[in-house]
Amino acid sequence: MENIIRMEDVSYSYYDKFAALSEISLEISEGNNFAIIGANGSGKSTLLQIVSGLRYPSKGRFLFREAEVSERSLRDKGFLKSFRESVGYVFQDSDVQLFCPTVLDELLYGPLQLEIGEEEAMSRAFEIMQMLNIEHLKDRPSYMLSGGEKKKVAIGSVLTMNPQVLLLDEPTNGLDPKTQSFLMELILALKEAGKTLIIGTHDLSLVDELQANVAVLSEEHRLVKIGKAEEILSNEDLLLRVNLIHEHVHRHGQAAHKHIHSHYLFHRHGAQNRR
Amino acid sequence: MANKIPSFLLVQSTAGSTKRGTGRVKVPFLERGIDHLAGVIKNGYAQWELSSQNGFFQKIDARVKILFLLLFILIVSLKRELLPEICIWNFVLGLTLFSRLSILRVYKRVLFLGFVFGFLIALPSAFNVITKGEIILLVARLSRPYYFWIYYIPAEIGITREGIYGVAMLSMRVINSLSLSFLVLYTTPFPEIVRALKVMKVPDSFLIIITLCYKYIFIFSKTVEGMYLAKKGRMIREDSNKKAREWIVGRLAFTFKKTQLRCEEVFKAMVGRGFSDTIRLYGFGKMRTADWFSGAFLFSMGLLFLLI
Repeated sequence: MENIIRMEDVSYSYYDKFAALSEISLEISEGNNFAIIGANGSGKSTLLQIVSGLRYPSKGRFLFREAEVSERSLRDKGFLKSFRESVGYVFQDSDVQLFCPTVLDELLYGPLQLEIGEEEAMSRAFEIMQMLNIEHLKDRPSYMLSGGEKKKVAIGSVLTMNPQVLLLDEPTNGLDPKTQSFLMELILALKEAGKTLIIGTHDLSLVDELQANVAVLSEEHRLVKIGKAEEILSNEDLLLRVNLIHEHVHRHGQAAHKHIHSHYLFHRHGAQNRR
Repeated sequence: MANKIPSFLLVQSTAGSTKRGTGRVKVPFLERGIDHLAGVIKNGYAQWELSSQNGFFQKIDARVKILFLLLFILIVSLKRELLPEICIWNFVLGLTLFSRLSILRVYKRVLFLGFVFGFLIALPSAFNVITKGEIILLVARLSRPYYFWIYYIPAEIGITREGIYGVAMLSMRVINSLSLSFLVLYTTPFPEIVRALKVMKVPDSFLIIITLCYKYIFIFSKTVEGMYLAKKGRMIREDSNKKAREWIVGRLAFTFKKTQLRCEEVFKAMVGRGFSDTIRLYGFGKMRTADWFSGAFLFSMGLLFLLI
């Protein structure tokens, strides 16, 4: 399949002082699912914001369907429209993303920007509310929603634009298990629907479930490996090195032992690890 | 879930290609405003970054620096001659250089603010309509002098020697005060300034207000910037100025409500950790010998400028 996203030696730093990304090169083809994993502060959100055209690389190039995305190219009306129609970004902090007076306004904002007729926009909004079980919230302002509801509305507000590429920044962060599982089902359904999903996360169970291609970012903001989920998740040395799993010591009665630990995938009490 | 996926989501987006050539998007006023806001945050970080550099002024105790600031601003206001003002300007410039601050970064702001709040405000007083004296640059000649209420407009209007001197004095005072303030701000982390003020018996209520304001501005700026990025991510065409204004007005109320809720949470967190009504800071350590020497040096320079 054709490459929809290509990054060539992309670097980014905040305030010209703090490096966030260092010489990242990667390619993502259409319909592919991609997870960007790394510890806190490794640059996942920055990378996603560059892919969504909200920040521009300090060095290197980012291409969408082989057209360079830059501050300059996004000033072209035609390009801006096709880019924003194609790429939707769900922020990590839903509070920031929701800026309309009510949930319904939030869901209608994107389609109306796309100049979709009011009737069609309204129908999309209601279909999405139905899918996300948030119909009862339609007249509520966003600051009166719970964390899980906010996340659903934030995702819904992007889905009503029907983007081909969906960027999700830490989608399961801070959600209760029921909402997490709902979200997981939604992501899998969107995958089935043929969307290109790019997820920034350190939730390894999400990566495992999605069976995506995985790019691993180090704490030095470099891309250390790209591979299939299975290959990456079985590479304990790599995950230890980038601080996605850690060695954990605890006691069972009188005996203390040590093992590799992640809250999702690895909690093996192998005999070889006993101390 | 698969059954519930709305049919429109299964339709491929029409934006298959990256079309170009239907005109340019103008960068709206709002975007420029947000850029400016981001600049404020950036400068805040930069200030913090520079404060921790290892220069001459950064090493001095914050109490000495606050006293130095107060003393020198008093001296700058007391002097009535241009020469001592120029000497003070040179002295502060030297301190800035020794503190390894970027001269361009500091003086770009000092000169801009000095120009607006010093030179421009004082400029009318350079004319003989306000300051009587010897005209050195004739600007206009009227057929006769005019009397209007308590005002007198002479037949020859021009810039006087005394007026120019007054404008130069006021501009120098503003520039010197700004240079001194920026020197202290850029070399002292904000918490140190607050602690120094606390030691100098500045009322707690005042300190609480400036501390919370400082934090609030950064949180608020980040929230607004994030909100703008979220809008930008879903914005396909440029907004007209009218629409942009409507959006800003709508968001003001919304942000106010959001920040009000955040304030309540922060206050609860403070109460939860034992806050009553006084700021309790761990005290400053004793001043080092180097601080006493630096203080004595700065104080004697102040006395010298006072005597010039």
